[in-house]
Amino acid sequence: MAKKKSGGLVQWIRKFFYKGEYFDYPLLFVTLFLVAFGLVMIYSTSSYTAELREGNPAYYLIRQGIFSAIGIVLMLVVSRLDYRVLKNFSLVYMYTTIVLLVAVLVMGVATNGSVRWIQIGPLQFQPSEVAKSAIAIYTAHICTIKAARIREWKIIGKIVALPLIAVALIAKENLSTGIICAAITVVIIFVTSPNVKQFVIIGGVAVGIMGIFLGIASYRLERIDIWLNPEKYDKGYQTLQALYAIGSGGLFGKGLGQSIQKLGFIPESHNDYIFSVVCEELGLFGAICVIGMFVFLIWRCVIIAFNTQDLFGALMVVGLTTHIAVQVLVNIAVVTNSIPPTGVPLPFISYGGTAVIMVLFEMGIVLSVSRQLHVAKEY
Amino acid sequence: MPKTYNKKKIFVVALGIIIAAVLLSVRLGYLMIVKSEYYLQKAEDLHDRERSIKAKRGVIYDRNGVELAGNKPVCSISVIHSQITDENAVVKALCTVLELEEEEVRKKVQANTIREKIKSNVEKETVDVLREMKLDGVMIDEDYKRYYPYDSLASKVLGFTGADNQGIVGLEVAYEDVLAGVPGSILTLTNAHGLELENEAESRVEPIAGDNLHISIDVNIQKYAEQVATNVLKAKQAKQVSMVLMNPQNGEIYAMVNVPEYNLNEPYTLVDVEDLYIENSIEKGNTGQNDVDKSEENENSDEKKSVNELTSKEKQDALNSMWRNFCINDTYEPGSTFKLVTATAGLEENVVSLEDTFSCPGFRIVEDRKIRCHKVGGHGAETFKEGFMNSCNPVFMDVGARVGVSDMYKTYKKLGLFEKTGVDLPGEASSIMHKQENVQAVELATMSFGQSFQITPMQLLRAASAVVNGGTLVTPHFGMYTTDEEGKIKKEFTYSIKENAIDKETSETMKVLLESVVAEGSGNKGQVAGYRIGGKTATSEKLPRGTGKYISSFLGFAPVNNPQIIGLVMIDEPVGVYYGGTIAAPVMSNVFENILPYLGIEESYTEMETTEVVQ
Repeated sequence: MAKKKSGGLVQWIRKFFYKGEYFDYPLLFVTLFLVAFGLVMIYSTSSYTAELREGNPAYYLIRQGIFSAIGIVLMLVVSRLDYRVLKNFSLVYMYTTIVLLVAVLVMGVATNGSVRWIQIGPLQFQPSEVAKSAIAIYTAHICTIKAARIREWKIIGKIVALPLIAVALIAKENLSTGIICAAITVVIIFVTSPNVKQFVIIGGVAVGIMGIFLGIASYRLERIDIWLNPEKYDKGYQTLQALYAIGSGGLFGKGLGQSIQKLGFIPESHNDYIFSVVCEELGLFGAICVIGMFVFLIWRCVIIAFNTQDLFGALMVVGLTTHIAVQVLVNIAVVTNSIPPTGVPLPFISYGGTAVIMVLFEMGIVLSVSRQLHVAKEY
Repeated sequence: MPKTYNKKKIFVVALGIIIAAVLLSVRLGYLMIVKSEYYLQKAEDLHDRERSIKAKRGVIYDRNGVELAGNKPVCSISVIHSQITDENAVVKALCTVLELEEEEVRKKVQANTIREKIKSNVEKETVDVLREMKLDGVMIDEDYKRYYPYDSLASKVLGFTGADNQGIVGLEVAYEDVLAGVPGSILTLTNAHGLELENEAESRVEPIAGDNLHISIDVNIQKYAEQVATNVLKAKQAKQVSMVLMNPQNGEIYAMVNVPEYNLNEPYTLVDVEDLYIENSIEKGNTGQNDVDKSEENENSDEKKSVNELTSKEKQDALNSMWRNFCINDTYEPGSTFKLVTATAGLEENVVSLEDTFSCPGFRIVEDRKIRCHKVGGHGAETFKEGFMNSCNPVFMDVGARVGVSDMYKTYKKLGLFEKTGVDLPGEASSIMHKQENVQAVELATMSFGQSFQITPMQLLRAASAVVNGGTLVTPHFGMYTTDEEGKIKKEFTYSIKENAIDKETSETMKVLLESVVAEGSGNKGQVAGYRIGGKTATSEKLPRGTGKYISSFLGFAPVNNPQIIGLVMIDEPVGVYYGGTIAAPVMSNVFENILPYLGIEESYTEMETTEVVQ
């Protein structure tokens, strides 16, 4: 009995691992490249501040290096798993996320005026980063189940109920992350549904909700003024400094490590505004290359979603891709002052432990999905 | 299994993402190519710290190329916080060597900036002491300081410069643009905390030296005029003696004296005019004055102590008045010298001729007022020429009345009395005149002999120049031309002139009248053997009347047939005899006697003088 049980456990565990015919190496390499590039840029941007604050120029590099290593291991493990087991956990994952999001509001640690962190012993982590994957997996799962009846409003309501709670909880403290989460849900529904009109209505409702959020928080309207005239506002300082950095990069930049704006002019230059330093040091050429890397990564993900024979896998990949794509676009748009300023990190590159671990976890899922692709038999 | 429409929609999402990425790339291209220069400039403005290199200030030369204001190499001392190894030693050394307050120095030494300037304009010898100490973090920069080789010569004309070599008063400020040059700079990059970045190349912009200014002052004339003026100041214990010597043909000023002058190399040291009298007092004491005088002298020195205890505002006021150029910055009632203007008006309007007769009973009743002549008994019957020679007030009241208010003002205007002279010194005062519509008979009468209004000495001299030079209204000036560092002429200044301001014939007649004043009239002490001198004396009682304070003055020019120099001397508050003809005319005579040969104007003895010499 015991033996059978243990043998069952092994089998049960083995069931999770799935050996497919295909593995998307280009996606893996571009992911590893972006992580490595991120570490280089974090060292470049943070060494000055780290030296001043911590007495060790590599302080942030080492921390981010550890998180990246954990993330890569996690990614590789997850890529070996059969992603379909996630169906069994999606609801639990979703509920856990909501609990964490409530917890962060109750006992969170505030940075820069917004409560985004939970402190457990020496570890701090950001539930909103976890929420992105939770929403993607959960929405993909429920949409797969309800795909046939997706035209019904009642079903739509059921699908969005839990994600909407999560989005509301996140948006209260961090509007842009809320928007990203909402986008994940909306895109998955959009892809599931054969209907376009329906999606337009959902999109409209989402925009309306965001409008209400903007309205109730007056500081967010102020941001629009800052966006339009960063020179005139004290709070436009960061935006302006980022523009100085970007503009002074020129075609080929000042060279890696040669940024001057990172020397205290751009506050926290290893965080959300890291892309401006990329522009300053590597120029337009380097910046376009980075964007190109992201586009390549997204293209690989889309290829995987396109060719997956399983709706759940496809929708999940679409959701996760949406997360990365929207976050990259919003971040670059903010740094270039193309949209009002909001704090969104650049995936893989910005400093942040939870973010890099979670995004690598997500890439692990995408890679896992890629394993069940059938290699074209024509050859 | 995903349906076709699922795939279609994935494609739509992917397309949306690609489009957004392209748009952002375009935006980046715009920022990094089109706006690149703009933002780069802004970023550099933010990062660059400029250390300026002073430009060498242009030299001021007199008309013969003698240096009046030059540059002396000095040093400025600054500290660089990050390079200091022994803070206490640095503070101590700076305090003792430079004689500064410890607290202030320590604050600067501790300031965590690129560099803090401790003191500028430090003499070479002092710097050498510091240099030998070899202190880390103490920077010594070579620099220039303004230096005036003649100390007080023409101080109120030249003016002086401040700590940054910028002009503060006088020609130094009037020609700041010419003299200053363009400071150079050393650019260094700094981080957000203002700390200089190492390994960043410095870019250096060389300074451009200022141009040299050549002015019309002649050192020798100025020196002599100052000496003569100082003598009369001492002799008459006057408050101030001013003198202007000008070429009436073109307005070039040869000398402008306002004694007591101050030392341009120490412009913040107050000069007490009474110090200049002490020499005299001692002489008096020696010639048998009793102890009372000596005790007075002691009192004087007590007062002097209190001069040192002036509040800073009082001291500033005292300095400002010391720096004032009376000839230009102040107005006064010209008195009898102004009668030449009244006479000019009479001749211009053809209401009087030299042979017209007048009578002076010693006063004239104008409306309800009895206005006296300076000669109490009256001059009796006299021609206009005699009246002019006697400086008889009733004669000029009559002439003024004949001319009338509007023609009188017309003449004033022709002679530039309502406008500034345009002299190239800052702070020129304007005349204070009655409004034409307010001028009644009494005002007209008093104005006719130079009272009840105020003009600057420079305005009077300019008007008189026009009267004697054939009618050309010139612009009095100092600046003649500028030269660059190699001495090549860079810019010649031109000044506006108004020809035929008055009739040439009037001018000829006026010269006859003015010559007769010196030859036979009230200005006879202004004569110079061998030269035909014209002139007019004045004794103006200062306002308020009845205080016994006067300004004695004499306006003279030579030679009469072709005036090459015109001068005005004013003795402010002389003690004792105060008649212009008695005390001011000899001053001008003394100056002319020496200057006319110096200017190369040949003597031309009249027949009578020749016979005197022969005898």
